[in-house]
Amino acid sequence: MSVEFQGVVKRYGEATAVAGISFTVEAGTLVTLLGPSGCGKTTTLRMIAGLELPSEGRIAIAGRDVTTLGATQRDVSMVFQSYALFPHMNVLENVCYGLRRSGQSRNDAARHAREGLLQVGLECYEERQPSELSGGQQQRVAVARALVLKPSVLLFDEPLSNLDARLRRQMREEIRELQQRLGLTVVYVTHDQQEAMAVSDRIIVMNAGRIEQQGSPRDLYERPATPFLARFMGESNPARGVLRRLDPATVRVRLGACEIDVANATAGDGEATVAIRPEAIAVERPADAPPNKGAANNLAGTIAKASYLGTHMEYSIDTAAGVLFATCPHVDRPLTAGDPVALRLAPRGVIVVEG
Amino acid sequence: MNSRAPVSWSAAWSAAGLLAAIVLPWYALQEGLDSGAWFGGLWSSEDYASALAQVVEHGKWWLAPVLAALMACLAAALVPATRQRRGTLLLIASTTGLLLFVVQALGIGLRGWTAGWLTTMFGELDTRQVGLGAGGAVVLVALLSLLSIGLALRGNFGGDAFVAGAVTTVAASIVLFTAWPILRILVQAFQDGDGLLAPALLVERLATEKIWSLRCLSGGGRCGVAWNTLFLALGCGAGTTALGLAFALIVTRTSFGFKKTLRVLTVLPIVTPPFVIGLALILVFGRSGLVNQFLEWSMGIEPTRWIYGFQGVFLAQLFAFTPVAFLVLIGVVEGVSPTLEEASQTLRADRWATFATVSLPLMRPGLANAFLVGFIESIADFGNPIVLGGDYGVLSTEIYFAVVGAQLDYGRAASLALLLLVFALGAFFLQRRIVGTGSYATISGKGDSGLPTPLPDAARRAAAWVALPWAAFTLILYGFAFVGGFVKVWGRDYTPTLDHYAKAFAVERTADGLIWTGAAWNSFWTTLKLAAIAAPLTAALGLIAAWLLVRQRFTGRGTLEFATMLSFAVPGTVIGVAYVFAFNVPPIEITGTAMIIVLCFIFRNMPVGVRAGMAAMSQIDRSLDEASLTLRGRAPQTLVYVVLPLLRPAIVGALVYGFVRAVTTVSAVVFLVTAEYELATTYIILRVINGDYGLAIAYSCALIVLMLAVILLIQFAVGDRRLGRRAIALRGGRA
Repeated sequence: MSVEFQGVVKRYGEATAVAGISFTVEAGTLVTLLGPSGCGKTTTLRMIAGLELPSEGRIAIAGRDVTTLGATQRDVSMVFQSYALFPHMNVLENVCYGLRRSGQSRNDAARHAREGLLQVGLECYEERQPSELSGGQQQRVAVARALVLKPSVLLFDEPLSNLDARLRRQMREEIRELQQRLGLTVVYVTHDQQEAMAVSDRIIVMNAGRIEQQGSPRDLYERPATPFLARFMGESNPARGVLRRLDPATVRVRLGACEIDVANATAGDGEATVAIRPEAIAVERPADAPPNKGAANNLAGTIAKASYLGTHMEYSIDTAAGVLFATCPHVDRPLTAGDPVALRLAPRGVIVVEG
Repeated sequence: MNSRAPVSWSAAWSAAGLLAAIVLPWYALQEGLDSGAWFGGLWSSEDYASALAQVVEHGKWWLAPVLAALMACLAAALVPATRQRRGTLLLIASTTGLLLFVVQALGIGLRGWTAGWLTTMFGELDTRQVGLGAGGAVVLVALLSLLSIGLALRGNFGGDAFVAGAVTTVAASIVLFTAWPILRILVQAFQDGDGLLAPALLVERLATEKIWSLRCLSGGGRCGVAWNTLFLALGCGAGTTALGLAFALIVTRTSFGFKKTLRVLTVLPIVTPPFVIGLALILVFGRSGLVNQFLEWSMGIEPTRWIYGFQGVFLAQLFAFTPVAFLVLIGVVEGVSPTLEEASQTLRADRWATFATVSLPLMRPGLANAFLVGFIESIADFGNPIVLGGDYGVLSTEIYFAVVGAQLDYGRAASLALLLLVFALGAFFLQRRIVGTGSYATISGKGDSGLPTPLPDAARRAAAWVALPWAAFTLILYGFAFVGGFVKVWGRDYTPTLDHYAKAFAVERTADGLIWTGAAWNSFWTTLKLAAIAAPLTAALGLIAAWLLVRQRFTGRGTLEFATMLSFAVPGTVIGVAYVFAFNVPPIEITGTAMIIVLCFIFRNMPVGVRAGMAAMSQIDRSLDEASLTLRGRAPQTLVYVVLPLLRPAIVGALVYGFVRAVTTVSAVVFLVTAEYELATTYIILRVINGDYGLAIAYSCALIVLMLAVILLIQFAVGDRRLGRRAIALRGGRA
């Protein structure tokens, strides 16, 4: 176990930033702390780093209790949101900094730093000042600087938020590739669920200082445990439905006039909140809709808004079950506001959210 | 890694404390530590004995518990224990030690027990304690260090012993050298001549005509010194703020051509002893000044002494402190984001409306601040009132005469100082109330684009009409002050001469080498030496305090910040008197030494260093420090390798300021100088009081020139290297 949190609480005066969380991070995995701003994810990361000390609870890193140790005394290093490259040192000096502070000789430090720069593909930039680098290059220097210390845990605090969209995808792929190639243990903070799903082995979703749910990206997307999670992990339409259990693995969900059988092993009978993924709603002209067996899985509606996004269409649709938001890959024959439509729901995009 | 380091440090500090208790004399020595004579008497002589010998041989049993606490610390450092537990043990042992230390130091003084009830409780003591010496000081430092390590081990201060130590150092030194002396004023004000508590006496001392009379308002008679001080300070605060604002607006918001020249004005008050303006005013308006002489020559009007009194002091303070207000307000005016003004203009507000509804309200906290500075400078000013006041007494001069004059009434001095303190703190709290927390810091850190809106024409003209003649007159005054040193007798004989400089700075070449025969040399060298000792210490303490306040979060941070802000508002006169009261009796007995002057320099000037350091540090991204911490740089290394290199301009500023202010200060040190340690400013003041203007002016000019040279030299030596980031950002921004 590389990182272990037991009942950790962090309070600032009256305000509670982290309200008692426990989790573990296994060695060699990339775990993301995901949540909206103010959910306590950065505070949690800073507590791993030792930049904040917990008000209660226990933190262990690589099996050692580090609860009261400061950042310097922990075997972690961190890539900051602003990169925090020292502006008065050049690239090599920046990367050498941690090695020199750990007591390496000037030559050893320089050698290791060069290896680190090689890892991130910046071997010819040693003499540059940080201000002379592009955002992506600065990011790589920051990664190299943290990497060369061979820490038990490498921390990333929203590392991509200062980059443009194209670079963001490239950098996140590089980070993931580097992590897997070197077998690093990484804790990664972001508020972007797509980014989290793309890089993570496991995601810990936080909300209001607590852990909402943790699991693999697929777990969280397909089986969100709470309405918050269903909203936060990808888009979803909340709706109220009535459940009836058919067999141990299936429930039938009734939404207005529409009935659909959904795989679920836990929900009981009765009314429940249901989340419907926008991509699981097939939007068709009533005339095009295939004659449905009994029309059970069929919801009638009217287009309220339509937007063209190049790769797909986005529709807001008035239905008996409320306004539904749907995406549709067919951009060739777009619908317009006022068109009547027939909706079909794909079972795997209809999620019963307990509570 | 280095999680064991605090443990070995705690053992080292305990051992150091114990060693000092065995091999260093506990009490202060008359002849100083460097004579070496104490070494032989370390055990046998009661004066020279170490703490251990004092306990065993000389019956000072009350030192034993302090030593026992140190032993306990050593034990706590060495026994096997968890981090947390060792921290707790160290904390308990060192706190106990400190308490015992303080209790014995305060409880037993020169004449045995220091309070009557102690004598009745414990019986007469047949022995006594003088001031603490080297041994006592080292033990105190060791105990404080152990306390910090204990706290750090328990996870306070981010678990960092260096931060804990820095906080303890700053807090302890502020308590010892600012809070404690000021507290002593309180005690002194409530005591009668025999040291007994007599609250009624305070009322009696303060409730006199001489302080509170308001007769000057109804015509006839003079007002009390309290009212005098207050009227002067209100006038000075309002006047300097208005003038300062005019200057600031001209420099930032008009196309006025001589902005550089105006900026020079801001340097003058920093390098000038505050009474030089007073002197120059005497040269122009005094009895034998130019104006009077011209009137006598042209119209036969008898020369008058009208400059001596309220009007003279007021004028001198306006001239002396307007540049300070300018300095404060220029930052404020520049801080008003042009974007906001542009926004206002796009919202159909014309220039006037923009200025009145956006710019001015945004400047309000700055204006309140400038007023406060003017107010406090005025009530703290000693040089101008004593030079120009005549019969118009103010609190600072009144206190001086109570301590130094024939009255020698410490109780009265303390009461007046208390009153002065109340005025200063009153203004301070009032300002905080007005400004409140609603400080509109509009500097975003991101280079605000947009151009400042030009002033409305009428406002521009008004500012120019007030400010420019004023600036010209200020320069003329300085010019006269300069010329005055080169004529025989101002007002009677304008023959050019170097006599005054020769008298002050003569050097004779003899067979034995150079002999510094000039009258000024003694005070000159003393000033330079003490200022040179004080400046680096001031800068270091100020910047460390700033670093703690900006960069560290710890319990008591707010209190510490408040304490440094508060000492900012305490007038120098009060500090001076407080030092006299607090440090002429044990446990810290340093009156008449160079040390007390250096300490006074440090703690007078440190708050400014703190403010400057905080301002500079808050512009450096906090994540740089954190990056260093996560890269195994411990707090001291982070400070040395990351923070300090980025702070170079602020360090230069703090060094220069610490040095220059130490050289030019008057109000605080006037109480502390002795024949042996005489300072330049106090020497000059005495020459002025004796009417020896020529020498005083010559000496002042020499000081001003020297200060300018020092500033240039330090600038040159340290260099003005800009950060690559900034320069590049600017280049990029302009491209």
